[in-house]
Amino acid sequence: MQGKKSSSHYNRQDAVFKYLLISASLLVVGLFAALFLMLIRGSLPSILGNGLGFLTGTTWDPINGIYGALPAILTTIVTSLLAVGIAIPVALGIAIFFTEYAPVKAKFPLTVFIDLLAAIPSVIFGIWGLWIIAPLIKTYVQQPLVTSIGFIPIFGGPAYGISLSLASLILAIMVIPIIASLAIELLSRTPITLKEGMISLGATKWESVMRVGLPFARMGVIAAVMLGLGRALGETMAITMVIGNSYMWPFANPSIFAPATSITSKIASEFYEATSAIYAGSLIELALTLLIITLATNVAFRYIINKTNKEAKR
Amino acid sequence: MDNCTYEKLDISGLDAWFGDKQALKGVSLRIKPKTVTAVIGPSGCGKSTFIRCINRMHELTPGNRVSGVVLLDGVDIYKSVDSMDVRRKVGMVFQKPNPFPNMSVSDNVVAGLKLIGAASKKELEAVAEENLKAVGLWKEVENDLKKSGASLSGGQQQRLCIARALAMRPEIILMDEPTSALDPASTAKIEDLVKTLKAETTVIIITHNVQQAARISDMTAFFYLGELIEYGETRTIFESPKSPLTERYITGRFG
Ligand SMILES: Nc1ncnc2c1ncn2[C@@H]1O[C@H](COP(=O)(O)OP(=O)(O)O)[C@@H](O)[C@H]1O
Ligand SMILES: [Mg+2]
Repeated sequence: MQGKKSSSHYNRQDAVFKYLLISASLLVVGLFAALFLMLIRGSLPSILGNGLGFLTGTTWDPINGIYGALPAILTTIVTSLLAVGIAIPVALGIAIFFTEYAPVKAKFPLTVFIDLLAAIPSVIFGIWGLWIIAPLIKTYVQQPLVTSIGFIPIFGGPAYGISLSLASLILAIMVIPIIASLAIELLSRTPITLKEGMISLGATKWESVMRVGLPFARMGVIAAVMLGLGRALGETMAITMVIGNSYMWPFANPSIFAPATSITSKIASEFYEATSAIYAGSLIELALTLLIITLATNVAFRYIINKTNKEAKR
Repeated sequence: MDNCTYEKLDISGLDAWFGDKQALKGVSLRIKPKTVTAVIGPSGCGKSTFIRCINRMHELTPGNRVSGVVLLDGVDIYKSVDSMDVRRKVGMVFQKPNPFPNMSVSDNVVAGLKLIGAASKKELEAVAEENLKAVGLWKEVENDLKKSGASLSGGQQQRLCIARALAMRPEIILMDEPTSALDPASTAKIEDLVKTLKAETTVIIITHNVQQAARISDMTAFFYLGELIEYGETRTIFESPKSPLTERYITGRFG
C-alpha cells in the first residue's frame, strides 16, 4: 500500500514536471516564432517597396529611396569568416599548448586569462581597436602591404586603419577565447590510452594531438567554431566602432584595408535616423537577413556534425 | 637459448620514481633475443613501471624519473637514443585494447609507419595485410578494412593493437596484461600468438595470471615491492623457486 501510494505520488510529480517542461519548450518556440513574425511584419514596407533588389542592390541612399543591402551582407559574411579563419588556428594552438605543453603551474593563470578575455565587454574591444590597434595596423601592416602587394585589388590602398580587416581581427580576438576554452575542455578529455598508443609508436606529442587528439575532439571543435561564428556574425558594438562605416566595400573598393559596413553596424548606426516607413523597414529587413544567415549557418553546421557522426559510426 | 651469449636487453641498477615515491629499486636483468619473458608479481609491485622504463614511457609524466642503465643491443637507450626512436624499436601493447577509433582497421596497423612517412600507399596496404595475417586477424577483417578500428570485438581489437606494434618491426614487444580485459577464447588466441611472436622478436609480457606465465614464457621475473626478487627460466621458477616469496606467490598463498 505504502509503495503504491508513493509511486502514484511520483507519477503525479512527473506529470507536473512534464507539463512544465513542455510549456517551457513551447515558450521558447513561441518566442522565436513571434520574433520572426515581428521581423517579417516590420520588413513588409521594404519587402514590398524594394523587392528583390534589396538583396542584390549595391547602393544605400535613403535620400533618394534606394536600399541595396548586398555590401552589408557580404561584409558581415566575409568579416565573420575571416575572423573565424584567424581564430581557429590561434585558438587550437592555445588549446594544444595548454593541454600538452604548459607547465601545471601555468594552467590556472591561463584559464583565468582566457575566461577574462571572453568576459570583456565588446565596447572595450572597440575602443582598443580604434585607438590603439587601428593606427598600429595602419602603419606597420597595411601600409607595407599596400606598397608591396597593393597591385592585387584586395590588398589595395589607401590604408585607412579602420577597415574590414581590422574588424575581422578584433572579431577574431573576441572569438578566440570561445573556441579555445571549449577546445581545451575537449582535448583534455582525449583518453590517455589513445595518446599513449600513439606515443608508443614513436609519435611526438604534436603528432599525437594531430592524429588522435583533434580527431577525437573534432565534433566538439566543429560545434565550438559554430558558436564562434555565431558570435562573430552578431557582434555589433566593436564592429561598428572599427569598421569605418563606409559602403565602398566591396564594389567601389574591394581592398580588405578599406572601410566597410556590416549588417549590425548599419542597423546600429542608422536605426534612430530611419524616419520613413521604408527606411525603417529596410533596416528591419537587414536584421531579418542576419537572422536567416545565422540560422542557415546553424543548419549547415548541424549537417556537418551529423555527417561526421555517421562517418565515425561506419 | 642456453647457448646464446648475446643479450637483447641488459638492464642494470634500474630505479624509477613517481615524484618522491620510488616504484622500482635497483632492478638488474638480462634478456636474450627471441624469448618470451613473463613479468609477474602482486598488484602495485612495479611491473608496469618496469616495462614502461624500457620504452621510455615512464618519463612522459612530469615529475617521474628514471636512473640506471638500459642497454638495447648494447646501446644505452637513455643516453644515446632519442626517446621517439626507442619507442619505434620497442613496441607496446596495453592492458585495455586501444585501437585509434578515428582510423580504419588498416590505417590502425600502419599508424606508426605513417609517422615516419616513408612508405607508399601500396606498400602500406601490403604491410597492413602482412601484419593482420601475422596476428590471425586477416580472415576476420578482410572485408572490413575500411571500418573503424573501434568497430571490432575486444579480442580482435587487441590483436589489431599487436599488429600495429608488429608493423614497426620492433626489436622488443612489451605487453602489459594484454589479456586481462578479454574473454577466455580471445585470451587463448593471444597466448598462441605470443608463442609465435618470438620467432621474429623478443617479448616481455606482464601477467597477473601465473598459469599464463607458465604456459607461454621461457623466462620469468618475479617482482615484489619494486624489487626484482627472482629471475630465471620459467620451469625452474615454477618447479623450484629459490625465494620463499616467489613460492608463496606462484602457489597462490599471497596475502
Ligand atoms: N601515477 C602514479 N603516481 C604515483 N604512484 C604511482 C603511479 N602509478 C603507479 N604508482 C605506484 O607505483 C607502484 C608501482 O605501480 P605499477 O608499476 O603500476 O604496478 P603494477 O603494474 O605491478 O601493478 C605502485 O605502488 C603504485 O602505487
Ligand atoms: Mg600494471
